[in-house]
Amino acid sequence: MSETPKTDHAYDGIEEYDNPLPGWWKWLFVATIVICPFYWMYYQTGQRTVASQFEGAMAENSRLKFQEIGDLQPDEVTLATYLQKENWVKFGKSVFATHCTSCHGAKGEGKVGPNLTDEAFKHIRTLPDIAKVIEKGANNGAMPAWGHRLQMNEIVLVSVYVASLRGTNIEGGKPAEGQEIPAWPEPPSDAVTEDATEDSGEAEPAEGA
Amino acid sequence: MDMQLADKSQSSSQPYSPAPSPEVESFSYDDSIVRMFVTATVVWGLVGTLAGLIVAVLLVMPELTDGRPWLSFARLRPLHTNAAIFAFAGNAIFAAIYYSTQRLCKARMWSDLLSRLHFWGWQLVIVLAAASLPFGITQGKEYAELEWPIDILIAVVWLFIFGGNFLMTLLNRRERHMYVALWFYIATIITVALLHVFNNLVVPVGWFKSYSVYAGVQDAFMQWWYGHNAVAFFLTTPFLGLMYYYLPKAAERPVFSYRLSIIHFWSLVFIYIWAGPHHLHYTSLPEWASTLGMLFSLMLWMPSWGGMINGLLTLRGAWHKVASDPVLKFFVVGITFYGMATFEGPMLSIKSVNALSHYTDWTIAHVHSGALGWNGFMAFGMLYWLLPRIYQTKMWSDRLVNLHFWIGTAGILLYIIPIYMAGLMQGMMWRGLDETGNLSNPIFVETIQEIQWLWWGRVIGGTLYVAGVVMLCANTLMTWMARPSKYEVPVHTAPRLTNDYQPSAEESTDTSQGKLADVPMLDLGKKIDIWARMGWHRRWERLPVKFTVLVTVAVVVATLFELVPTFLIRSNVPTIATVKPYTPLELYGRHIYVSEGCFNCHSQMVRPMVAEVLRYGEYSKAGEFIYDRPFQWGSRRIGPDLAREGGRQSSKWHWDHFEDPAGQVEGSVMPNYKHLLHDEIPYEEIVKHVQAAHVLGAEYSEEALTNTGDVAYRQAEQIVADIVSQGGPPDQMDKKVIALIAYVQRLGVDAFKTPEPETDPATEEPAAEGAETMEGAE
Repeated sequence: MSETPKTDHAYDGIEEYDNPLPGWWKWLFVATIVICPFYWMYYQTGQRTVASQFEGAMAENSRLKFQEIGDLQPDEVTLATYLQKENWVKFGKSVFATHCTSCHGAKGEGKVGPNLTDEAFKHIRTLPDIAKVIEKGANNGAMPAWGHRLQMNEIVLVSVYVASLRGTNIEGGKPAEGQEIPAWPEPPSDAVTEDATEDSGEAEPAEGA
Repeated sequence: MDMQLADKSQSSSQPYSPAPSPEVESFSYDDSIVRMFVTATVVWGLVGTLAGLIVAVLLVMPELTDGRPWLSFARLRPLHTNAAIFAFAGNAIFAAIYYSTQRLCKARMWSDLLSRLHFWGWQLVIVLAAASLPFGITQGKEYAELEWPIDILIAVVWLFIFGGNFLMTLLNRRERHMYVALWFYIATIITVALLHVFNNLVVPVGWFKSYSVYAGVQDAFMQWWYGHNAVAFFLTTPFLGLMYYYLPKAAERPVFSYRLSIIHFWSLVFIYIWAGPHHLHYTSLPEWASTLGMLFSLMLWMPSWGGMINGLLTLRGAWHKVASDPVLKFFVVGITFYGMATFEGPMLSIKSVNALSHYTDWTIAHVHSGALGWNGFMAFGMLYWLLPRIYQTKMWSDRLVNLHFWIGTAGILLYIIPIYMAGLMQGMMWRGLDETGNLSNPIFVETIQEIQWLWWGRVIGGTLYVAGVVMLCANTLMTWMARPSKYEVPVHTAPRLTNDYQPSAEESTDTSQGKLADVPMLDLGKKIDIWARMGWHRRWERLPVKFTVLVTVAVVVATLFELVPTFLIRSNVPTIATVKPYTPLELYGRHIYVSEGCFNCHSQMVRPMVAEVLRYGEYSKAGEFIYDRPFQWGSRRIGPDLAREGGRQSSKWHWDHFEDPAGQVEGSVMPNYKHLLHDEIPYEEIVKHVQAAHVLGAEYSEEALTNTGDVAYRQAEQIVADIVSQGGPPDQMDKKVIALIAYVQRLGVDAFKTPEPETDPATEEPAAEGAETMEGAE
């Protein structure tokens, strides 16, 4: 300590040592500077920009979700078929939780939006009507259009989930609005047999409704 | 040349001083102004931290104030930040500067009148802030909320009164060289003025409202250039200056390294300015700017730590004093928090870390480790050192000082640890995907409920910290009571500076004078050795005008490098043909949104990340914000992002939700906004807003400009018609909430419109069909 050279500065009694810059400090500073051009070249070019990384991740996400089922169409056969597939109904439930619960309630019991767990429906008579209302909205924006927010597969699967809620009659739900409509159609026979093992005993209440 | 410049200005105050032997002058210091600023610091310290405690309580008990607008979280939170930064830290800085500058310059402040104008002017600014923010008078930009008349007052008080007084004191100093603390004060004064003026350029609409001259991406850039450097030049550089004076004074030890102080000062000043865009990672800011901001933030790590090690190593050989002197304890903990925060800052600026941390409570924990630990504790240490000196008596209770230290330290830890946890949990919950590729936590409000118990931890920690400040207040009051009936005013003497200064050997740049002069080596090596001994800088230290100019150049050049491309390169903001100006009603609704401070809890920026797009919709594009003055991207999500809120819920839902948020979203921490259901839209005033937007480049039809009220009213009728058709109350066209709903329903929808104007077929068709189906069923 006594060997440390002092400058001859003194301000209001404050003196200063003439210590050199600490080596680790100096070289870390240099390192943070040197690293910059390399980082810039690596990330600001080609496939590593934020936008292209996002595109890749999004495509990967879609693959993970839909590789197995391809592109679904919102037709009656498809909807009736997927209504039997428990894991895909669950997928629809996830979409529902993200976007629909604020108006329809956590279990579809209805809040501002109608109760989805009873037998009465507005704007809907058939399964494809559900997808149509979700895609394009209804009642002058009371039901918003989700066409540009959700992929068609998500619309189909959330429609399937909504269909599955029918007849669960959650306690304390909103009073029925709209009309009672015919029961959902039976799924095509091949779909049932195909998934019979998987789904046996786990039939959604919708079936009985 | 430079010397002439400085010396000329020095001699101008004393034109007849060619005396070869310097005459000795007597002078005394103005300590009464220090006492004034110290008192203000203590009082505002209590107010600022108490306001913080109140908003912390409002987060866990949102209905405590039952929707009273002037007591809502979103209006009081800016009051807390402004009080903590500009009132508490501001007055602390001024106390520090007024006491130390006089002693470092061996000169009284140049003008006692300016000193007092500064004091009262600044207190007026604070009072005006407290009188405007709770009433929704705000510019809607973080830490720059105060409206334009107050901004002008700030500029005058800061630059002309404070800055002028300070610079004149420097020019009339009796100490040849300026000590490092003064360099930091110079950088503070210059840069804060620059930041403040350029971020607050607005077009006024009356006394209480203005529109930023910048829009969208550019406004965001300017705001965070300002915001980040407000942290740098209001909360860092003046506190480093404070440290450089009060720490060696209290420890009675020489500063560790003169050379380190030079290198870290200049690198800090130059590099800080670039780092602002790291607040805007993954936003619509062009990526080159965000990357630049990140890289300069990394480079900033060592310059920041230079200050920390110069502080802590000054205590070498004095650590035994730290154990017994509470002033040094405050300083050691303060500097340690500075080191932590300035390591964390660069870390958070790394994009992938920021992807997790941004918009979460992590940011809140980070700033509070800086504000409570660094700014708070440095100010407290200084105050406890000053109090016995300025009141010329003993500290009333040393035990209470010690207790303040321990309770304050416990308070900081109890505050930041739960909030760091909360931030981390939020980040993980928001991004989590399940095995099917869907969101693991699809319901936003549940992610808030998960962390709410941690918010209670903050209330406890905050209470302890406030308790410490109360002890400071008591100790200050009691010490003041014990002051002498008349303060002693010691008279000092020092020779006046003369113009015939002979530079010392230290300043020499002559290689034949260096210690390597006789060593057989290249001349270049000798030159480097001479340069590294900083003689060139020693010369600058006696030229205050040159020094000030150089600091200004460093700051301005760094700014322009980033700012010019941001404003001039068109591709930074690709336009979107379907994005149109807000309608008059929406524009007024936006004014309500800004005024209520919605951005304090809701961001408007969907980042290009899978989880974010799944939760909120397509990520935000630069071209969507060209009419946003100010931008409202926000920095925090206590509620969900609203960038794509338009058309996501029905207007009736919004009506119900503003009336009773928790009724619509169970567990919501949003307070109710019932007053918007009662307060009326002043339709005749909307025209002023539209005209301002028009002046700033938004296109409006002749009718919208001349018949604004009617145009707005017609849109209100449509919205009310929707609400009625959805089961809501009729005839509510004149209620403010209608304008706000109009604005919210517009958020993020333009980008998806088909270029055909007027109606949006996507929403028109199904409504009609839906009606058909319904009729058919009946």
